[in-house]
Amino acid sequence: PHSRPRHPGARTMLPLLLLLLATAHGLDKLQYVPTLASPSLGGLMTTSTFVLEQPRCVFTEAQGDAVIWLVVAVPEAIANFNNSVGPGTPERAFQSFPTRAPAYMTLNTTLLNYPCPKPPGELTVLRVGSETRCARDETRPTCNGPLPSPGPYRVKFLALEGSKPVAETAWSEPITLRTAQPPGSILAMGSGRSAGMIALTSILSILFAILLAGLVAMLVFWGSDACGGSSTFNKPEAVTVQRYNTHHVYDQTAARL
Amino acid sequence: MAKSGDGIHILQGLLVFGNVVIGMCGIALTAECIFFVSDPHGLYPLLEATENDDIYAAAWIGIFVGFALFALSILGIFGVIKSNKTLLLVYVILMLITYAFEMASCITAATHRDFLTPNLFLKQMLERYQKSETVNNNDKWMTEGVTKTWDKLMLQNKCCGVHGPSDWQMYMSAFRTTHSDADFPWPHNCCVMDARGSPVNLDGCKLGVPGYYNSNGCYDTISGPMNTQAWGVAWFGFAILCWTFCVLLGTMFYWSKIEY
Repeated sequence: PHSRPRHPGARTMLPLLLLLLATAHGLDKLQYVPTLASPSLGGLMTTSTFVLEQPRCVFTEAQGDAVIWLVVAVPEAIANFNNSVGPGTPERAFQSFPTRAPAYMTLNTTLLNYPCPKPPGELTVLRVGSETRCARDETRPTCNGPLPSPGPYRVKFLALEGSKPVAETAWSEPITLRTAQPPGSILAMGSGRSAGMIALTSILSILFAILLAGLVAMLVFWGSDACGGSSTFNKPEAVTVQRYNTHHVYDQTAARL
Repeated sequence: MAKSGDGIHILQGLLVFGNVVIGMCGIALTAECIFFVSDPHGLYPLLEATENDDIYAAAWIGIFVGFALFALSILGIFGVIKSNKTLLLVYVILMLITYAFEMASCITAATHRDFLTPNLFLKQMLERYQKSETVNNNDKWMTEGVTKTWDKLMLQNKCCGVHGPSDWQMYMSAFRTTHSDADFPWPHNCCVMDARGSPVNLDGCKLGVPGYYNSNGCYDTISGPMNTQAWGVAWFGFAILCWTFCVLLGTMFYWSKIEY
């Protein structure tokens, strides 16, 4: 009996087999990385919501009947993330996130809502965290509720056919939301004295002091009734002195005659 | 002494002219201050809530000082023409009292203008706008004033916040405690409104799409009128006082030259 010669590519057979197994399971790993929308949006990131670009032209007809879900997870849950855990289970319920469920699934839609190609000039975004009514409703585990803390979070899109994952995108970069400062931290003190105000105050004070000095001088002169000088003038008299002859003078001349 | 007589007549003429100008400026000051006190822009509640509305006190003083200047200028004209020492002394003393009040008004207006900074209004807006639990009547009155004024400001001037809508995101606020961040990233008055007063596109407003929300701040529309008021009272009053200083010096000199 002769031994069978070893196949030269035996070492490459194993990974090839594994790849075949994966594709046989049907999970497409797409290269697309979910990104935030354009920074021109004022509400791109708030303290409890953020806005993603829609995954247009990412999923193809191969996933035609699939339902595309958005998965939001804390970064620690990425390593052991199990795609087969379905949405709506307690492990993926929004209301248990992030304490009892490390990830949740929401914003489910079919490929029809992500038509390709993207029409130019149209805003194609997804607002994560916009549904507030169901945030505490345990019967709605796929609620798109506001995020409870500033994060960071990582997201990906997962296409499920029934309960079987058929395609997924890559995980996004960590997204950290805004944190709000308390208003007490605002310093509301005045900006100090402006130059105009200092000039105004000093000039007016000096002028007032001069006037007061003048008033004091006036009162002193009024009291002492002095300082005539050659340049004083007489105010126009209301009564003029007239020369008149008294009857006494007439009597005298009459007496002489 | 014809030459001296001419000189005195010229001084008399100048003093009468000076007093006429003071009288007219007094009326102008009164009119200006009445205009400011009437608050055409509706910004008084914001000042009232800062508990430092002294630029309004300065305007009130300006109204009465204006009347006093007008009355005293008539007394001054009369006293100069009659060359009556007593009358002129009374005129000078009363003018100095009025001068002191007007000085106080100018300095108050100028000083308290420096107090009004963007951060002051930002803090006030965050702490009072739509505040739901008020402690006492005074607090309630000021909160209502601030809320109504901001609502009106944002609607009429198509602006949002002090620096912009990001004010509502960067800081916690009394508004945020009653309105969730997801539904109200900023108040709905920041949205572009249609003719009936409701947002044209509420989702666009919440997303912050340019064109559906007002992205500029309201600080310019607040500080513009307040600056005009403060500078108007302070510097016009300063000009009047400089002129009055010259007239009063002339009057004192004229007084010293009168002889009974």
